[in-house]
Amino acid sequence: MDMRNKNFRQDNGTAYLLLAPIFILLTIFVVIPFVYALRVSFYDWSFYQDSVFVGFRNFRLVLTDDLFLESVWVGLKFALMVMPAMLVLSFLFANVIKRLGPRFSGFVKTSVYIPTIISGIVASVIFVFIFDYTGGLANYLIGLFGAEPKAWLADVATALPSVAAPAIWLGFGLTTLIMLAGLHDIPESYYEAADLEGAGTWTKMVHITIPLMRNVILYLLVTGFTAQISQFELSLVMTNGGPLSVTTTPNLYILNHFRNDVMVGNSIAASLLLFVVLGSISAIIFRILNSEKAVDG
Amino acid sequence: MNKLTGIQRTALTSIAALVTALALFPLLWVVLAGFKGRAEVLATPFRFFPKQWLVQNYTDILGDPAFLKAMGVTFGGAILFAALSLGVNSAAAYVFARLEFRFKKVLWVYVITTMFIPGMAILLTSFIVVNKMGMLDTLGVLVLPGVASAGHMFFIRQFYLNIPLALEEAALIDGAGRVRIFTSVFLPMSFPVFVIVGIGSYLAYWNSFVWPTMTITNPDLFQIMQYLYTFRSERATEMGMLMAGSALSATPTIILFLIFQRYIISGIKISGLK
Repeated sequence: MDMRNKNFRQDNGTAYLLLAPIFILLTIFVVIPFVYALRVSFYDWSFYQDSVFVGFRNFRLVLTDDLFLESVWVGLKFALMVMPAMLVLSFLFANVIKRLGPRFSGFVKTSVYIPTIISGIVASVIFVFIFDYTGGLANYLIGLFGAEPKAWLADVATALPSVAAPAIWLGFGLTTLIMLAGLHDIPESYYEAADLEGAGTWTKMVHITIPLMRNVILYLLVTGFTAQISQFELSLVMTNGGPLSVTTTPNLYILNHFRNDVMVGNSIAASLLLFVVLGSISAIIFRILNSEKAVDG
Repeated sequence: MNKLTGIQRTALTSIAALVTALALFPLLWVVLAGFKGRAEVLATPFRFFPKQWLVQNYTDILGDPAFLKAMGVTFGGAILFAALSLGVNSAAAYVFARLEFRFKKVLWVYVITTMFIPGMAILLTSFIVVNKMGMLDTLGVLVLPGVASAGHMFFIRQFYLNIPLALEEAALIDGAGRVRIFTSVFLPMSFPVFVIVGIGSYLAYWNSFVWPTMTITNPDLFQIMQYLYTFRSERATEMGMLMAGSALSATPTIILFLIFQRYIISGIKISGLK
């Protein structure tokens, strides 16, 4: 008990000294810009003249701007293309890795993780090349089946799925390894008991694996969904939001409007709205999960 | 788990090999495309391997002083960024994990709240702030804004909370100060968590391009992703060089990852999501 008291004595001076750097840096580069952004969202803001207070007008304008609403729809569609594919593929592949021998699984884990560390720019460059009309892999592959070449990134119908492809590629490795960590957390005795009952692979999957992985999958779904709706680097580099605006995600819409003085207040209002909506969705799902715990890594 | 039959094992191994190959394929392809001649890069029909192996794209891009400079400047910046980030965030992590002081709760909430502020919402106002501080076109504008990270601090703190109190008690009895205990007991034990967080910081810096394109106009400070992005829009016809440059730009990252992959892969674990 003595020891505890000694260990938990007050150390105001040391604490403030060691906290000073993080406190100062966060204040200058996060808190002040955020408070400033909150303020700007209520003003008709300009680089060149005095700002005018306009109340909620920016928010009203954003919510009635068809282009913004369309970009939210694009973001939703994009996330709906990426997330189910990524979750299903990672779940299945994590189950494959779990059954591999230790040496080979080590190699597989390292290899599939590598795309995760590749930048959005490089991924975009590679996939623009894959979807190239003349020399690209995509047209070569569909050509093997006798199909006519497509202008993947210029066609309204194929542009968004083509931008979703690198997103899946970039996220697959980390998602798989988190799924795998979840699988390793399920006690082997559950499966042994099921084996004794004569349960098949499918039964074990449905009655043991999936229920026990529920929270891991939900966690990946929520964080992945928010990350994918916020994605803009891929469409910025691959299509610049086009053709028309079918690949303009909300953040790309916001970024584009920063370049337009008149729209600054609007786009900051838009980003705050987006943040509130996404944050609430995540909060609600985590509340349903009834868990304040998180995944490391 | 029940034993797998020979056929099942072969099937699983083949699937694993196939998926691994698919995941690595885009990277291999960009490396190979760098070895193709200008006409061949986009030639129909598509070929995986170059007809003729040319090193010219690689020598051309490496011969561009701007490319090498961007690689060097970005690498130096990334290392500095990761080091500062580890220092600032681990000091705070230690304080929140072990020390008792006035306003601890308030400061904790203040720091953690910043984790939920979206980057896009503060992108423009951050630009205005650094502009007012006269930081545009400096190394500081690239490095400083992202150094403090509540997420990284939180992650390191979780690690420190698991270090047994007994380890520092001896030092406390000897009268060592809190700072000494941090540097002589905690820092030496931090290697595994520092690898994960440090590589995370390094990657965030190395891969960033929106912030550099907004704040850097001086070619001497061009960042590598900014270079590639500019290259793509200004020299779009030189596909082979762009491929070679992209491949080379990913190399330092991949080497770093391979050196530390053991720590990174085992660092991906789940703490009680059940």
